[in-house]
Order: sequence, then C-alpha cells, then structure tokens
Amino acid sequence: MRRFVIALLLLAVAAAPAFAKEKVYGKGAPAGDVTPISTVLANPDQYVGKTLVIEGTVVGVCAHRGCWVSLASDVEGQTLRVKVEDGVIVFPKEIVGEKVRAMGVFKANRVEDTAKKCDATREGEPEVQCTTVYELFASGAVCDWK
Amino acid sequence: MNGFRKVCRWLHRELGFFAVGLTLVYAISGIAVNHVHHWDPSHAAYVVNSRIEPTGDGETEVVAPLVLERLALREPVKETWRADREVLQVFVQDGTIDVNLVTGEVVRRGNVKRPLLYDFNFMHLNKGKAPWTGIADAYAAVLIVLAVSGIFLVKGRKGLVGRGGVLMLLGIVLPLVYAVLARRG
Repeated sequence: MRRFVIALLLLAVAAAPAFAKEKVYGKGAPAGDVTPISTVLANPDQYVGKTLVIEGTVVGVCAHRGCWVSLASDVEGQTLRVKVEDGVIVFPKEIVGEKVRAMGVFKANRVEDTAKKCDATREGEPEVQCTTVYELFASGAVCDWK
Repeated sequence: MNGFRKVCRWLHRELGFFAVGLTLVYAISGIAVNHVHHWDPSHAAYVVNSRIEPTGDGETEVVAPLVLERLALREPVKETWRADREVLQVFVQDGTIDVNLVTGEVVRRGNVKRPLLYDFNFMHLNKGKAPWTGIADAYAAVLIVLAVSGIFLVKGRKGLVGRGGVLMLLGIVLPLVYAVLARRG
C-alpha cells in the first residue's frame, strides 16, 4: 500500500508540469464550437459582431506590449489577428509557434494606409482609400504550451 | 518619546536590511520598464543569417521535412508554417526561422531572456500573479513602515522640526506640483 501511494505521488509530481502547461489568458476560451479561421475569412462580413471561438498556431505576436497575436489559418498563408485589451492580457514573445484558442467578438475595422481609423465622411478632405481589416477582439485565450 | 524613537530605529534598521533585495529589484526594474518604448527590458533580440540548399517551392508536406533536415537543428521544433509560396517558417523555442525555399536563404530572428533583468521584471510586473500579489503587498507595507519610522529617527535641527521636515515637505510637494501642472497641460 505504501509503495502504491509513493508511486502515485511520484506519478502526480511527474505529470504536474504537463497539466500546468495549459495557460489561460483573461477569461479563457471554451474547447467546443471552434470556427475554422478559413470559414470566417471566406465570408467575414457574415461574422462581424458575433462572438466566436477560433484556434490556430501563433505566427506573430505584438513585440512591444503583447497585445495581439496572429493565428495561422488552416489555409496556407492566411492569418487572423487576435487583439486583446492593452495591459489586461499580455502574450509573451515565446508564444510564437504555440497553439492558441481564443474567444471574442469578430470586428471589421476600416483603415487608411496610415493605419488611422478611416472616416469616409470627413468634409473638405479628399476621399481616402480604405481597406477593411478583420480581427477578433478577444476576452480570453488558452494556450497549450509545448 | 525616546522609547518610541528606539522602536522606530529598530524597525527601520531590521526592515531596512530585509527590504534591500526587493528594493533593488523594483528600482532597477522600474528604470528598465520606464523606457519600454525604447527597448525591450526583458529580452534581447538577435538576427542570424545563413543559407541551406534550396528545396524549391513544392508542396509543404514534401518541402517541410527537407528544410528541417537541411537546417539540422539541435533543438526541438514547435511547428512549421507555410507563410507564402516561397517562405516556410520554422518555430523554435526562442524565435522564428524564415526559410526561402527558392533561394535557400535562412533568417533566424529570436529573443533571449536578459540575465537578471528578465527575472526582476517578472517580479516587478507581477507576472506570477496571485502568490506574488501577497509578497508585493507585504513589501509595500514594509516600505510604509520604513518611510514612517524614518521620519522619527533623528531629533533636533536635522530632524522633523528642522531640515528633515523641510526635505520631507519638498518630497511631498514637488511631485504634487508636477502632477497638477502635467494634468493641466
């Protein structure tokens, strides 16, 4: 019995790091109902304003403040940015290459080349070329650290 | 009053020694993170260029194993990702390796933890969360005791009723004046 308990304790100690590898950021993100990034980006306007759970490998991270990560889609070369509130969630630089699941509201931002907010109705100013940048404004994320 | 001053001196001396470590941690890290717009206080970035025999821009399933074989990395690979037709990215623990499949150019960009500063900033920025919050609160309480007990250490012309009092007032008023002026501006 004593040997069994010791073996169990050793097993628990050995397994502890594996369990500790899942890191929750902010409010986290549930495991079910993950919408593939490629599905979202195929018809992005359909998802604007909706709460989504997405998943992918981190291929980019905000270098200065850790306030966003880019997740790779299941389609080659395609990514979606996951933005979080500055200072509330901070993604570490080492997160690149890790798998992350994030939950948040899907947004469409109209931006100019200068990356300022695009305002199409400004009076007296020439019309500016704007593009739509989609992002998930996440309330939480979960990373399975390798 | 002498008894009270004796207690203050004892508290100030004992807690002063005890707080040296964390005071240095918070002070050094404070300067480091104050200039976060100019540098990364926790990591040092590096870029290393090299070259491998090009694999060609074939299917990812074919080229990815070839790239890994030619890179001959001694560390574990976290993931690979085809960023575009010509570029395969290889993610390792401390960075990203961009491999141009057509030219064979390899650019490795990464970040290494700055010795000591990384840990100082880890503590200062409370990245350890809950357990560290308790330690930081206790340290803040120690600082309050140090500040208050320090007021009563010296008596006479150099103490609270003399030069010490003037200096203490300056230390309170100057930051307040700055805060009021900065808010107006």
